[in-house]
Order: sequence, then structure tokens, then C-alpha cells
Amino acid sequence: MTGTEFMTLRENADIKIIDVKTDLSSYAASDLRKVLESLLTEKVSKVVVNFSEVSHINSTAVGTLVGIAKRLRQNGGDLKLCNLASTLTRTFNLIGASSVVEIYETEKSAIAAF
Amino acid sequence: MEKSCIELKVPSDVYYLESVRAFIGKLSETLRFTKKRIADIQLALDEICSNAVYHGSKCVSCGIQLQISVDMRALEIVVSDKGGVNTRDWLSPEKLAEIQAKRSPTGESGHGLYLIDCLADDHKFKSNMVGGTDVTAIFYRDVQPENG
Repeated sequence: MTGTEFMTLRENADIKIIDVKTDLSSYAASDLRKVLESLLTEKVSKVVVNFSEVSHINSTAVGTLVGIAKRLRQNGGDLKLCNLASTLTRTFNLIGASSVVEIYETEKSAIAAF
Repeated sequence: MEKSCIELKVPSDVYYLESVRAFIGKLSETLRFTKKRIADIQLALDEICSNAVYHGSKCVSCGIQLQISVDMRALEIVVSDKGGVNTRDWLSPEKLAEIQAKRSPTGESGHGLYLIDCLADDHKFKSNMVGGTDVTAIFYRDVQPENG
């Protein structure tokens, strides 16, 4: 349970996987932050966010992911993203955030990268 | 094609921006922008409207206004807000340059203006009569004039 209709949470060993079910504009970005913050509170350190059902992301959501990735790394973990549409990858590249957050083509490769 | 204008007014709440984004996406599709360009237009508008809600509105009921103009040449969008608590006179060239200079690719915020600059073919910021900001973004159409 994530407390939001926009995201679901799964587990693979010690890795938490968030499936985002909506486009990430400012409204949904606040829900994403809440879910990720709650994982930090639970001392989760390894997180994968699956974007297979997302076609739009704005800078607020990208900034949220950048901030959480930094904090997870401080805890010895990391945040990895997968299944991004080309328009989403372009947004990360334009901002320069792809140098901070690791992006993988598939969920399997994101999990294997831990 | 004559110039056509559409006006929208939405509450200053990000909850409503998804509908605005969907509308401009459909309009851009009708105007035969490419899929990539439609994504650019939607993202630029999302950034402009999010800024208007977060920084250019003192309350939800202030609202933000969109004036969308279409002609043979371009899609032009003007987003107007009424000004936030700390946004009076924020539009000096020095302030805009400072915002751009402070942006870090690894930062959590401050990317909105940069994205608007990257994505729109042309854009401008202007103070308006009610103490807010008018942000104009222009996207040129790659269409041939109709014969006749």
C-alpha cells in the first residue's frame, strides 16, 4: 500500500519497487514524494521506480527523484529508474538529472544493478 | 487561416493543471505538431502554469488565466498570474539571470525557467497591470499555407 491511487508498491528481496500509474505533473509529484519519504522513514535503502505507465514528467517530479536519490545514497542505498519513454528520458537529459539518477531500460536491469 | 483565440481560467491549484495539459495536448495534435513537439509544448506549459500557481498566486481563488492563440504561423500561449507573496518586481534582468545562474543540474528545484527556455521557440516574461506576471511561449508550426 502506498496511500495513493497513483502508485503501487512491490518488493523483490530487499528492493522496493514503485509502479507509477499516472503522469507526473506537480499534483502527482507530491504523492510520489510522500511515498518515497515514507520509504526513507522505514529505513528502506534500495528503490526502483517503474515508469512504464508514465508519459509525462515535469521538473518538480524530476527534482523530487534527484533529492531522494541523494538521500538514499547517504544511507548506503540508491534509487534507480526503469522503463522510461523517450520523452521522459529527454526531460532528464535536458535538466541534466540523468547524471545523478541512474536510468535503466528494464526493471530487471535496474534490479540487477544493485 | 484566421487567428483564433481560446481563453481558459483555472483555480491556482496544481490539481487542475493536468486538465490544462490534456487540453493543450489535444489542441496541438489537431494543429498537427509532431508527437515530440506536443510533449515539448505540454511540458513547457506545465512548467509555466506550475510556476504561476506556486510563485504567482496568493490563494487558490486568485486563479491563473491562459490566452491561447493559433494562426497559420504559430501556437502562442500567454499564462497570466496575479502575483505571489514574494514575486513583486521579480522580473528584473538581474533576477532572471540570477535564477538561471543558480540552477544546478543536480539541484532539486529551479529547472522550470530553463526548460521553458529549451522547449519554446520563443518566450518572454512581462509584469502585468495587477502585479503579476505574463509568460508568453510561442511554438512555430511547420505547415504550408493553404492554396487559394
